[in-house]
Amino acid sequence: MSPLAQALMAELSGHPRHFGELVEAHMDTSWRDFLRAWGEVRAADVLARDDAGRYLLRAGVTTV
Amino acid sequence: MSRGFRDVLSRLTDAGELLHVPKAVDPRHLSALMAQAPQATFFEQIAGYPDWRAVGALVSTRRRLALAMGCAEDAVATRFEQGIRRPIEPCVVERAPCQEVVWTGDEVDLTRLPIPMMHVKDGGPYISATLVVSKDPEYGRNVGSYRMMYRTPTETGIDLVSSSDMRVYYQRALDQGRPLEIAVAIGVHPFELLAASYKAPIAEDEFAVAGGLHGAPVELVRCRTVDLEVPAHAELVLEGELLPIGWTADEGPFGEFSHITGEVKWNPIFRVRAITHRRDPIFYVLQMPWENDWLAAPVIEAAGLQALRIASVEPVAIRAPVGGCCYWTLVASIKKRPGEGMNALLALLSVAEVKLAIVTDDDIDIYDPDQLDWAMTFRVQADQDVLIVQKARGKHIDPSVRAGMLGKGGLATTAKLGIDATIPEGVPRSHYERLRYFAKDAVRLEDYR
Repeated sequence: MSPLAQALMAELSGHPRHFGELVEAHMDTSWRDFLRAWGEVRAADVLARDDAGRYLLRAGVTTV
Repeated sequence: MSRGFRDVLSRLTDAGELLHVPKAVDPRHLSALMAQAPQATFFEQIAGYPDWRAVGALVSTRRRLALAMGCAEDAVATRFEQGIRRPIEPCVVERAPCQEVVWTGDEVDLTRLPIPMMHVKDGGPYISATLVVSKDPEYGRNVGSYRMMYRTPTETGIDLVSSSDMRVYYQRALDQGRPLEIAVAIGVHPFELLAASYKAPIAEDEFAVAGGLHGAPVELVRCRTVDLEVPAHAELVLEGELLPIGWTADEGPFGEFSHITGEVKWNPIFRVRAITHRRDPIFYVLQMPWENDWLAAPVIEAAGLQALRIASVEPVAIRAPVGGCCYWTLVASIKKRPGEGMNALLALLSVAEVKLAIVTDDDIDIYDPDQLDWAMTFRVQADQDVLIVQKARGKHIDPSVRAGMLGKGGLATTAKLGIDATIPEGVPRSHYERLRYFAKDAVRLEDYR
């Protein structure tokens, strides 16, 4: 997993975030790089959603 | 030959309705910038995507919709009606602009497309201007429009919650444990999008409806990796399949056509097998909320006209105002005979999820809000001219139906309100004679300046 994907996972551990909040925190990253990293997180099948539509890590998932 | 997406851009340019933005724009800023422009917006450079341009908000006003449809602003419903009455079968061509560039295998990568970030609470970047083609062995081809949320370089979510023909097709494929092939055309003429939003009978080909709107066959080309056809003049095509996983993947929220952020939904996943596009592609962003609302207007207005005629009421004009998302409200003027104000309300309130209907006489210009207010003020007695219908079919994205109080899978119902703003029976029409200025036609202001 790329460093950016790992960073996204770390941001989600314990702190549910709207996708837009993640985007906002990485505006200095190119959109394409961001989406690739997000795709890695998605493909890892570690995400859950709360009632507000925010992303969080599934119970039991740990970050590096 | 049917007209294409770029013909619409030319029309809007000629009418001064397309703003060109020369500086490079990040895809994360496209929607926010479009929302600030009074015109449709054409982005000549996309930061990080040197091969792409982008455009959006093409039909975000009635004027621009009418320009795209080639008719007067108050004629979009009748123009649509004329088209759907005369379907023209599509034709298949061998070579197509939408296949000038073909990506398959490892080349398939959705991050190569400038998919925009639209709203604050969206669950991801969305492809909003989709024309989705599918096929069922028994029912044949279907064309619809479904939002798609980026998930990975080869996968998107797709909102297939609401009832639709493609939902039926998917369910039938799912029952057999097989995927449903689909092709997604992006950057097509609004006639194709209108035909896709029209609830045609399941066996009717929406491309034939679009042909009727064009007055010429829609040119289709066979896809490269799926057994489907797409408009040859599309800017971009995604080919692939809906995985046979049912409604199990999170999708959303997204800024709904009600102008309100929706909820997370559970939906299938679209896996992309090939991407084809023009050599100089333009990425079309259907700018939510107004643009997709306006694409509903001709459809709902035409349904209103049809309902009035079936009720033997003669319509003069009809309008689905954008404040009602061109969906929940209908305003009509009629040539009224006694009792027909109420008959007209009953007819209009039977259309889809219309929950507010207002009927006026034909002396009222229903496009003029002041005239409409005047009619509702002086031709309405609330205890006599208002109709309330309870427990009709509603739509869950209307917060006032309190969908949150329904059990899981519960269907929303709604109350409907009709206002008969026609001259009441028994009141002489002369009581509504408008003021006229003395010597109005005898003098001209410019002669005194």
